Amino acid sequence: MSKLTVRFILNGEEIEHETLPNRTLLKMLREDFDMTGAKEGCGAGECGACTVIMNGHAVNACLVLAPEVEGSIIETIEGLSDGTHLDPLQQAFIDNAALQCGYCTPGMIMTAKALLDENPTPTYEEIKEGISGNLCRCTGYKKIVQAIQSVADQNRIGHGNG
Amino acid sequence: MKFVGKSIKRVDGVKKVTGSLKYVDDMKMPRMLYVAVKRSPHPHAKILSIDPSEALRLRGVKDVITGEFYTKRGGLYLEDKNFLAVGKARYRGEAVAAVAAESEDIARAAVELIKVEYEVLPAVTNAVEAMAPNAPLVHPDLGDYKVAPVFFPEPGTNISNHYKLRKGDVDKGFAESDFVFENKFYVPHVQHVPIETHTAIAQMDADGYLTVWASCQSPYAVRQALSAAFDIPLNKLRVISPAVGGGFGSKAGTTLEGIIIPLAMRSNGRPVKLTYTREDEFENAYVRQGLHATIKTGVRKDGKIVAVQNEFIWDGGAYTEYGVNIVKAAGYASAGPYDIDNVHTDSYCVYTNHPVGGPYRGFGMSEIHFGIEQNLDIVAEEIGISPVEIRRINGLKPGGRTGTGEVVEVCGLMECLDNVIRDIELDKEEPASGPNKRRGKAIACGWKAPSMPNNAASSAVIKLNEDGTAHLLVSAQDIGQGSDTVMTQIAAEVLSISPEKITVRTGDTDHTPYEWQTVASRITYSAGRAVYEAAQDAKAQLFELAQIKLGVYKRDLEMRDGFIVSQIYPDRKVAISELALGLTFEDGSGVHGPIIGRGSFIPPNIRNADKKTGLGEHPVAFWTYGAQGVDLEVDVETGHIKVLKVASCFDVGQVVNPQMLEGQLEGAILQGMGTALFEELMLKDGKILNKSFVDYKIPTSDDMPELVVSFVENPEESGPYGARGVAEPAMVPTAPAIANAVYKAVGIRLSTMPLTPEKVLAAMKEKAQMK
Amino acid sequence: MRPFEYFRPSSLKEASELLVRYGDGAHLLNGGTDLIVRMREGLTLPEAVIDLKGIEQLSRIREDEASVYIGATVNLNQVGRLETIGKSFPYLAEAALSVGSKQVRNRATCIGNLCNASPLADTATPLMALNAVFEVFGPEGEREIPIQEFFVFVRKTSLKPGEIVKGVRVPRTAGHGVFTKLARRKEVDLSMVCMTLLKAEDGWRLSFGAVAPTPVRLPKTEALLNQGAALEAVLSSAVSEVKPIDDVRASAEYRLDMVKVMLSRGLEQIEKGGAVS
Repeated sequence: MSKLTVRFILNGEEIEHETLPNRTLLKMLREDFDMTGAKEGCGAGECGACTVIMNGHAVNACLVLAPEVEGSIIETIEGLSDGTHLDPLQQAFIDNAALQCGYCTPGMIMTAKALLDENPTPTYEEIKEGISGNLCRCTGYKKIVQAIQSVADQNRIGHGNG
Repeated sequence: MKFVGKSIKRVDGVKKVTGSLKYVDDMKMPRMLYVAVKRSPHPHAKILSIDPSEALRLRGVKDVITGEFYTKRGGLYLEDKNFLAVGKARYRGEAVAAVAAESEDIARAAVELIKVEYEVLPAVTNAVEAMAPNAPLVHPDLGDYKVAPVFFPEPGTNISNHYKLRKGDVDKGFAESDFVFENKFYVPHVQHVPIETHTAIAQMDADGYLTVWASCQSPYAVRQALSAAFDIPLNKLRVISPAVGGGFGSKAGTTLEGIIIPLAMRSNGRPVKLTYTREDEFENAYVRQGLHATIKTGVRKDGKIVAVQNEFIWDGGAYTEYGVNIVKAAGYASAGPYDIDNVHTDSYCVYTNHPVGGPYRGFGMSEIHFGIEQNLDIVAEEIGISPVEIRRINGLKPGGRTGTGEVVEVCGLMECLDNVIRDIELDKEEPASGPNKRRGKAIACGWKAPSMPNNAASSAVIKLNEDGTAHLLVSAQDIGQGSDTVMTQIAAEVLSISPEKITVRTGDTDHTPYEWQTVASRITYSAGRAVYEAAQDAKAQLFELAQIKLGVYKRDLEMRDGFIVSQIYPDRKVAISELALGLTFEDGSGVHGPIIGRGSFIPPNIRNADKKTGLGEHPVAFWTYGAQGVDLEVDVETGHIKVLKVASCFDVGQVVNPQMLEGQLEGAILQGMGTALFEELMLKDGKILNKSFVDYKIPTSDDMPELVVSFVENPEESGPYGARGVAEPAMVPTAPAIANAVYKAVGIRLSTMPLTPEKVLAAMKEKAQMK
Repeated sequence: MRPFEYFRPSSLKEASELLVRYGDGAHLLNGGTDLIVRMREGLTLPEAVIDLKGIEQLSRIREDEASVYIGATVNLNQVGRLETIGKSFPYLAEAALSVGSKQVRNRATCIGNLCNASPLADTATPLMALNAVFEVFGPEGEREIPIQEFFVFVRKTSLKPGEIVKGVRVPRTAGHGVFTKLARRKEVDLSMVCMTLLKAEDGWRLSFGAVAPTPVRLPKTEALLNQGAALEAVLSSAVSEVKPIDDVRASAEYRLDMVKVMLSRGLEQIEKGGAVS
């Protein structure tokens, strides 16, 4: 089995990285880049704890092989805050107590980010449906939806109630 | 109050939303070895031989161990388990060998190469059958096992605990009843499904000092168990729990930690790591026991329940070191939150060749209330009164007596019931959303006490820093419930300093003081009290020094915003920062030294119940009461249930953090819904058919109904600021409330969970045929 | 994961040659949401993984008056949101958007979903009802496989060694259609039973999934519908044309009951002139 080199953009940074092909993007992020925000909750694409954004779309990193990232743009939770300021979504999660054990949180936030990037002003129902690929056992989801809704509401104000 | 009762933001929020918090599987150490486990494919089999030679020859494999390396049995309440099977495997999936290798892939490949010879034994896969006289014995040596004196195993059988409650005289009670009813219920196994699976790393230093990093709820319990199992003195064993991604009881006690210790002891200093896959989690972490329940009720025409006889047969699985206490807890709570003069309960913990039962949120309460709360509705209907009425008549109120004869002093049950009736508009008939739907509303009640040893202890240390900030050290584990924040709030309240000035550190047996376990809904109450005491201790020391410094009697001092202030002369004050390291006089000399506040707490006066009758005046620390209401619809053609709204109300004594408490109640409702509608470990001949998320479904965001939560505050005298725990009770009434509402909607009663569309439809068809 | 060679060919010819060279040891990688799961569980152990996403022509979507063509690497969210699919075949859009989670659909492809040949593939029944045609590239040239000849058995298609599905051509079909998916949980679940019912201009078309070893059309029932037969007869016929089994998700008996419920509800919906869920 031969190693190959993948070139991609990771949280805005150009990366050239050597990897064996028989591993997932999730493992590569966690083991090679120490980006452990994305978690393995099931390894089979059923729980969403490994959600990252690939070329603008939310995907389960456990279902992407490392070589498949060639030429793509990857965004993870680690790229959301600049170390000083939190992204409005992250702040909204804190303000709304939308997290408890925190294990589903990075994946949930990335799904929310992709959702809002695509549709900045989703309805309550659209949010509920939009995050249904991310399992949470602690919160019952209500405060998560409220947190995302609060950012959507801010977007509405920003766009003049669009 | 400034901080208690306020929705202070979580102190661990930023770490979690940035993904920077390192959970155990996120941790990498130099030269780490990875573990994979060889598991028994048989539910019951003698292990004739294990040949690891081919595995050992695989490049990258460092070590293979079996149960023969450490045969000492252990267990929390009953010492019946080994971390790796010794002599025989008692459930399908039991660990029989473990490999340490350079990578996970190599370890897994090596596992395939280990050859195990089994002699298959007849298996028992039904708890009722396991009680039959000639059933195969899962633990023939039960009589030799060490057991805590409050449990009663029956050697020579599969019964590892037979709990008895004998209150009053049920035979007389039934004779005096106008009606007697008997109903049966069955609750299948479910799993906790924490989103983070179990994981642990162990490393032994050259001087024999062992460090374990584990995602665990109770580092001190892990330390104790490992120390006993491997004969390592407690001062040479350090357990660290850096973060826990959900526990719900599955990470109480010990699960996989013992598997990696022998490997760490033999790896010449290399750290050894084991992380469970989701499949491992379903099969090899704790599961919630199954329950076969029979409830016999004697009731008078006027609705007063005179006698209750319960038989609970618990499917405890292959090892019941923890399960024996669940059986006991269910036994002493078996009357439910009701005032019944005559109660006769037999609660049996039965060994089967099933996955290992262990603590699951509710500790038996959800399981028994599925029966108790439906039974009440059934009885009410039979005698012609409403479900609310039967609960008003029989529900506990201050002055009443519980099933163990304890006098109730504080009880907000009726207030909680009123609140949920109001919040789902129980009496308002509302239309269904379509011609094929029927709508129904119902309520259910619940209660729980912390199930723990009478002397379960908490402790806390507060160190004041010379800039007026503080460190709070506890081993209460924040598993999501927010204990880090709650403990901080309590300390902040006593010391009158802002929570931001307090850094809480937890989960390190070398550095944070003893906490029995983070289970049992006991932490806000017990660890909270310890924190309160530690803060009071620090405050007392501050007052001693301030008294000297200010020339004001300490009885006239108070804490205010980082200062110790005279109540009489408000401009006479001294900053905490000035006294944190002691009092320095004008001549430069100093006294007292650094202020370290110390608090220890054991709930007062919890005494053993009578061994024969189960009766006791104060057998538990406190009871938490509550109720829930459900509004749902049933599709009469497909059987699908859609929950529209759930109202939940609990008497928590004192709300410490409203927003976080709401979150806990909301999460509990969804977890309860999961067991009611979707969740079941489908076991066939000891094999789990659905050990993945493909076929074990938990609720998603799109299953979330409208949620209305409220609280009642009747203070708990010995709790910090009057607070008592609610983490587990919060889930107890949900499933029976759903079952009761389904009955209201379509007139069918399901005596088993989950209420799948197929079961609902089958029941409706049967009912239609009977007409 | 076991070791394998990873290839990302830039042409169908290259991909096909790799398939032939590695034979049974080769696997096509498209969305990966099925293959990677199987590799993780050790159910599939390829020596060579051939990633199709480097072949540009497979990502194309074409439409003309007669049909809409969906390329092999178009993912399910794309299919579900394509304006032309939403207008012409809303039931196909709905089926596509009912598979897995959003994250899964951002990778999983319509063609991949079909090539796995699971009897419960959600996109299968609408395409069966629409008489879709697969365009296939192979070592011996290109050919077409009508969807009704595509599914042979559980996880088995009529593709020959070295053959790769380029895309599916969906004939424009005027009419009203309904897609229904019955699952245990509202989102992210496999179907217990799924159905597409289409009242086309040239007659009724009915397809069910998860009630036989492959997705199936129900020609006898279609004929009865065309004759205007009574509902009772239509439902009995439907039940006779399927053969569900008991499994962890549902029993055969329940599935048969649901066939009747879903069909009658579908007919009702179409009566009302809707192409809705």
